[in-house]
Amino acid sequence: MAETFPIAFLFFAGAAGLLALPKGHARAALLLAVPVVACLFVWSLPEGNLWTVRFFNLDLEFMRVDRLSRIFALIFTIAAFLGNLYAWHVRDTVQQLAALLYAGSAIGAVFAGDLITLFFYWEGTAITSVFLIWARRTEGAYHTGVRYLIVQVGSGVLLLAGAALFYRESGSIAFDKMTLGSIGTWLIFLAFGIKCAFPLLHNWLQDAYPAATVTGTVVLSAFTTKLAVYALARGFPGTEMLIYIGAVMTLFPIFFAVIENDLRRVLAYSLNNQLGFMVVGIGIGTELSLNGTAAHAFAHILYKALLFMSVGAVLFRTGTAKGSELGGLYKTMPLTMIFCVIGAASISAFPLFSGFISKSLILSAASHDGYYIVWAILLFASAGVFHHSGIKIPYFAFFAHDSGLRPKEAPLHMLLAMGLTAFLCVAIGVFPGPLYALLPFDVDYVPYTTTHVVTQLQLLFFSALAFTVLMRTGIYPPELKSVNLDTDWTYRRLMPVLIGSVSGVLSKVWAAQSNFTQTRIRAVIARLYHSHGPEGRMAQSWPTGSMVIWIAVLLGFTLIVNFLS
Amino acid sequence: MSIDQNDKPEDLPTLGRALLWLDTKKNVDRIVYGLYIVCAILFTADFLYHKHVYLGVEEFPGFYALYGFFMCAALVISAKIMRLFLKRPEDYYAPYDVESEKYPEDQLERKTHDG
Repeated sequence: MAETFPIAFLFFAGAAGLLALPKGHARAALLLAVPVVACLFVWSLPEGNLWTVRFFNLDLEFMRVDRLSRIFALIFTIAAFLGNLYAWHVRDTVQQLAALLYAGSAIGAVFAGDLITLFFYWEGTAITSVFLIWARRTEGAYHTGVRYLIVQVGSGVLLLAGAALFYRESGSIAFDKMTLGSIGTWLIFLAFGIKCAFPLLHNWLQDAYPAATVTGTVVLSAFTTKLAVYALARGFPGTEMLIYIGAVMTLFPIFFAVIENDLRRVLAYSLNNQLGFMVVGIGIGTELSLNGTAAHAFAHILYKALLFMSVGAVLFRTGTAKGSELGGLYKTMPLTMIFCVIGAASISAFPLFSGFISKSLILSAASHDGYYIVWAILLFASAGVFHHSGIKIPYFAFFAHDSGLRPKEAPLHMLLAMGLTAFLCVAIGVFPGPLYALLPFDVDYVPYTTTHVVTQLQLLFFSALAFTVLMRTGIYPPELKSVNLDTDWTYRRLMPVLIGSVSGVLSKVWAAQSNFTQTRIRAVIARLYHSHGPEGRMAQSWPTGSMVIWIAVLLGFTLIVNFLS
Repeated sequence: MSIDQNDKPEDLPTLGRALLWLDTKKNVDRIVYGLYIVCAILFTADFLYHKHVYLGVEEFPGFYALYGFFMCAALVISAKIMRLFLKRPEDYYAPYDVESEKYPEDQLERKTHDG
């Protein structure tokens, strides 16, 4: 215990140190140094529960290190490094602090061995990450950030409630494999599901990520959702429902991605689709499929960051990331274009790129275990993701119709970050061995077989053929300046309108009702006053003695009651 | 941002200049024909080797090719139909949304390639 410490604290210390440094290269360098040091520590950690704090009879485990938590922590440190390198030019203290604290929280959550520690870091990722959206400093970004924060904090509150109920049921706060059944476990499952962008709970992702800053989106894309994938893999492996949830997740975002205009939102949809593959892997729950989930999360963080970086670089140079405004940029931003294509090939799972060697583990697991329909859906989703991420993103940004924009190539540090990420994508694809060695279980899988390579190439090239044919015949829907309604419409439009109209009707009914009662009561009072008031007809015949008689009757009644009882 | 349709090749970065041949329609057509040929080769490849597969449906010649092609076409067409119901103007949620806002200029480094 003496020689180790929670890796997350390294990031928090880095954030404190950041404030002591002057703005400029020193801060940017610190932002790079912290993830590198953290990566080395994570690499050399032994397995076990390394840092326990006793708190009110509860053991808080800050450092539960095993193969599953290590691979996620490792990729998180790598993602933090690449994101910070990409953001070398940023001089905004808020964003720099948020990036460090956010990465630290995510890594802390991955190493959390109990539900209370997990809760603290879980909320930590929510609160720190929202600043990457607010840092855009526009009214729209402010409102989007508030929506994002409500959803994220809501997920944390559910987690805490679930943890409390779980503790009452089982007497333990340990964060291990759970079975769905009690309310406590359901709440925890739901909390994970919100952060993992389950269908119908997904929209915070597509709403918020494109609203963040150029560099903020790159950082955001790595942590929150993959933390949720990790939490599901830890807490609910083999939960059959996850297979179907995951299959739906791979499916519906691709339709939205085809018609979405904002390329960063297209990427957010495809991020959602990729999470679906990981969730299916968790649901199947075999060693092969869980390996697939971990490997896919690792590869996915890299190529997704690369895609967000390349579109971000375009935004940085042109001021827009919309397909309808872009096109023809390959002439002046050729390197960015090439990196984008490498990211696109990786997400599409082309042989020799990272997605190929990770996604196939999940697909194989689905077909080996007899989930044929799910397998067919995943295959469709693979073709679909190639269609909208693999082709659409590079095509509409860098080729398509010439927008007339001739921006300068991305700045050097962005090119470096993209180059490094692209290198990793290809390296993992060509030499999957080192990644396979890191996976939670021993791997007995050969991705490069003739059948696999040929069938995958057939799937992809014929998808490309479909794109080409549709494009050339003019059937392919053009990029239009528009927004598309998604489930967020229910809480951004439908609910306010419903609540508004219901409250309008209710307040009118209430006003009419109270108005009616008041006039009636006033009329009664007026009539009584008219007849019984001092000026009224009844008052004329009031003998003064009538009061005395009534008092006598009352006293007599009291006497009788007293006597009888 | 300058709009010049007649790029002077000497102003472009080296790599961009090398890629300039994509600018002519004839070369794009060549790529498309290339794609057709690759697809044809991949399709016939199915008859030339022994597939190691788990599912019966995979043994169907050209299954992956046909599945990829038709599912993608279906995807695009259904997305196009979805657009009829789901498309709204860009300022639909404004001002509670970044969609119709300009990206703040002070956070960008807009530059054209020729300075």
